Amino acid sequence: MNLAIQTDVKERIETPAEGLEEKIAVHHLNFYYGEFRALADNNVNLYANKVTAFIGPSGCGKSTLLRVLNRIYDLYPNQRAEGEVLLDGENILKPTQDVNLLRAKVGMVFQKPTPFPMTIYENIAFGVRLYEQLPKSELDDRVEDALRRGALWDEVKDKLGASGLSLSGGQQQRLCIARTVAIRPEVILLDEPCSALDPISTAKIEELIDVLKREYTIAIVTHNMQQAARTSDYTAFMYLGELVEFDDTTQIFTNPKLEKTQDYITGRFG
Amino acid sequence: MDTHEHIVKSYEEELSSLNNKIAKMGGLAEQVVGQSIDALEGRDPDLAGITIQQDEVIDDLEKEIEEQAVVMIARRQPMAYDLRQIMAALRISTDLERIGDLGKNIAKRALAVVGEQQPKQLMLGLKHMGELALGQLKEVLDAYIERDADRALKVWYKDEEIDAMYNSLFRELLTYMMEDPRNIGLCTHLLFGAKNIERIGDHATNIAETVFFLVHGSPITDQRPKGDHTSSTPVPIRSAS
Repeated sequence: MNLAIQTDVKERIETPAEGLEEKIAVHHLNFYYGEFRALADNNVNLYANKVTAFIGPSGCGKSTLLRVLNRIYDLYPNQRAEGEVLLDGENILKPTQDVNLLRAKVGMVFQKPTPFPMTIYENIAFGVRLYEQLPKSELDDRVEDALRRGALWDEVKDKLGASGLSLSGGQQQRLCIARTVAIRPEVILLDEPCSALDPISTAKIEELIDVLKREYTIAIVTHNMQQAARTSDYTAFMYLGELVEFDDTTQIFTNPKLEKTQDYITGRFG
Repeated sequence: MDTHEHIVKSYEEELSSLNNKIAKMGGLAEQVVGQSIDALEGRDPDLAGITIQQDEVIDDLEKEIEEQAVVMIARRQPMAYDLRQIMAALRISTDLERIGDLGKNIAKRALAVVGEQQPKQLMLGLKHMGELALGQLKEVLDAYIERDADRALKVWYKDEEIDAMYNSLFRELLTYMMEDPRNIGLCTHLLFGAKNIERIGDHATNIAETVFFLVHGSPITDQRPKGDHTSSTPVPIRSAS
């Protein structure tokens, strides 16, 4: 491959964009499931108030990378990360990091909606109570605010006492986003948030992403190329644990620098 | 960079069918232009008539390509190189349709001047200019088929020659008209004919730009030398003496 292009791509990955605040900076990150190295020397920046999409074939490490950003992998034995992940300049991989505090700052929404088996109200209030002691009226306000931000309030305001599980799939997913937002995080990680949703629910979540990015930094993993193209400002293409190309989303989807990226996004991977 | 095939075969087939339609349309446009110049030079009304009819096929192909491109965008949601291929097909088909129209217009003028006595030297100039434009068109269509941006770039630079030729023809025609007002009818038709050929050259450079964009994903950054100065050429006023 052309050496100039390769150098250019490497620079694009490692050099922060000018004029943007680096919310999360990943440096030389390696991740292991036991002996297996799932991430190989990853470098990437997540910019404040921007949406960064991670794309790549199954098993390329997208979700793994996301799981490192709030150290949710800590919950499992034999998984470890090496390198540096700076959140506002602080390395969150350091042993002294308070992971609960970290997860309050870096919220996560999963592929399948995971509402708690409790009322809609409690689904939101539960997390808030873990971090803050609020009087009832303030808690009510917080629940309403979160549900509004999750674009769900109008649909559930008359049945806050109903079970979270009684909602449709799309509503459940928005409930999970509202639950994440209620804790007032700084970063939101979305791991395939729409893969189980119909097009209308998907559109609602995409609209929500657009609104939420004004206040939060968002990372989204998706297998849907069009969704990545529609929702994100930056796109990272990953393959076999490596971060292959990172650029403006427009650049990636109109004229990526590497043939490998182009082959993947146009469905030519062989 | 287009080395691998799509996993979805039917997508690959649609892209190549679009490609083939452009090639077909290009071939027809070349034919129309070539014949129209022959008809004008040879004062051949039959050839002019046939040529005028052939343009309809080009128009139909443009509609077909447009329709297919729209359907492909809607159904395939093309990205990157695929998207550029479809956009290129759309743009090139528009240029080719215009080239067909210009050819048809030359053929119509051939019909209009059939009975007129034509000055040999002028016709020679016009023919030569036509050959140059036709050569440009052939070259740029080959560049498209081969996805050869360098070849397209050469076409882009060469357009200046057609412009220069048009400038000198323009002056010559003016001179003829001033010499004898009875020449004005014929010369006006020839002048429009020459202008049409010059426009065909411009469309060939448009296609060259599209081919370059198709291959590289970025426009040509160089400034093209503009050679057509006729719009600012003053008409010399003959002295009253």
